[in-house]
Amino acid sequence: MNLWERIVRFFGKEAAPEKTGVIAKERLRLVLVHDRADLSEVVMNSLREDLIAVISKYMEIDLSALEVTLSKEDGSVALTANIPILSVKRDVALKQKEAL
Amino acid sequence: MGTVIVVTSGKGGVGKTTTTANIGTGLAILGKQVVMVDTDIGLRNLDVVLGLENRIVYDIVDAVKGNCRLRQALIKDKRFENMFLLPAAQTKDKTAVSEQEMKDLCANLKEEFEYVVIDCPAGIEHGFRNAIAGAEKAIVVTTPEVSAVRDADRIIGLLEAAELKEPKLIINRIRGKMVKSGDMMSVADILEILAVDLLGIVPDDDAIVISTNRGEPTVIDDKSRAGRAYRNISRRICGEAVPLMALEEGNGFWSRLKSLFTR
Amino acid sequence: MKERELTESGGHTMLVQRTMRSGQNVNFDGNVVVLGDVNPGAEVIASGHVLVMGALRGVVHAGAGGFDGATITALELSPTQLRIASHITRPPDGEEAGEGLLAPETARIKDGSVIIEKYQAPR
Repeated sequence: MNLWERIVRFFGKEAAPEKTGVIAKERLRLVLVHDRADLSEVVMNSLREDLIAVISKYMEIDLSALEVTLSKEDGSVALTANIPILSVKRDVALKQKEAL
Repeated sequence: MGTVIVVTSGKGGVGKTTTTANIGTGLAILGKQVVMVDTDIGLRNLDVVLGLENRIVYDIVDAVKGNCRLRQALIKDKRFENMFLLPAAQTKDKTAVSEQEMKDLCANLKEEFEYVVIDCPAGIEHGFRNAIAGAEKAIVVTTPEVSAVRDADRIIGLLEAAELKEPKLIINRIRGKMVKSGDMMSVADILEILAVDLLGIVPDDDAIVISTNRGEPTVIDDKSRAGRAYRNISRRICGEAVPLMALEEGNGFWSRLKSLFTR
Repeated sequence: MKERELTESGGHTMLVQRTMRSGQNVNFDGNVVVLGDVNPGAEVIASGHVLVMGALRGVVHAGAGGFDGATITALELSPTQLRIASHITRPPDGEEAGEGLLAPETARIKDGSVIIEKYQAPR
């Protein structure tokens, strides 16, 4: 860093480069999300069953076409659930009206 | 009846063996009956760190296979009466000991010793599973580097799966100045990510290299910062509440002056 | 193997034509000659004599079957530990290996303990 850059930074005209400690922590956080997301089959199945149980309270879903996956892309990990709905339960619609 | 503690890390080169030697010696300084067990078969090192390499006649494989009595394989330390080493085998197959044999060995050792400290090999294979087989408590060693912390996370997961709940963390080779300038992850950063209890921090200290050259655990030298850190850790293992040591070197004139200005 | 064979006819002899590194070991019923060094962590076990044409820094057990007359000779004798028959010896604590001029030395049992002396060809 030359003197001019120092002066510029001193007056806050340019954002200081991110400290490497912070970079390390961020990278680590991401890596661990990936590592920990390597969930076992057992965990994924139990997650699937729990999802079905919760959603079934509100709507009827197509179990045969249900997909729950973890997708990893650069910078993020996402839980993607593709849940085709067959019908919304009548009593849910009623309850909603009552609440209004 | 003693306690069996395994010292592990996943990644190699973070200071497992040095930590084992210093914790074991630290406990011996506190007057405890201690035995250290090197389970890194084929790559034994704890003997050299402790300066006991020329006393080895029998090793862990001999003891487990009944080539000798367990007592014969235990090497008494040259400094402390109450400290022993069970060395790893160097010229034998690394799968020579089974998990059940390790469990039996640990059960035997804790009959006689207050602390059985197990030095675990790097990795997560056979050697790791053996080392943790007979353990009741686990210490995970890491350094403030992405690779080491990542492996520590993996190890903590494996320990928990093996019913070794609540492993304790030691963060080794911390450099106060680099943390302060933001170029090293801080203790808080690492704890936030790993979410485990901290057993202690050990500063990066030349004294470690110097004392290891001589085959003397740094913990004996109470003037060295790393030595003091290991003493504190040993006392915490015995249940004492010892505050964490400050990372910065002393409170010299300049640092006081600086804190005056930055306040 | 008979003691007489080992001392007089030399018995069987194994020639190791390499430096032995940590973790390597040789176990032989007879004499062993190493053309190279024996590094720390390496181990030579022989029922007869052991001769190291190099530096001996590891562990050597000569006369492993109980043969008291076995000797260990090396161009540089600075072992981790020496064993002859049922005797075990190691360098004293705090003594640095390789002080002064290095000369070939021989270890053998004399009056019930292991002694080390400058190598002399048998007359």
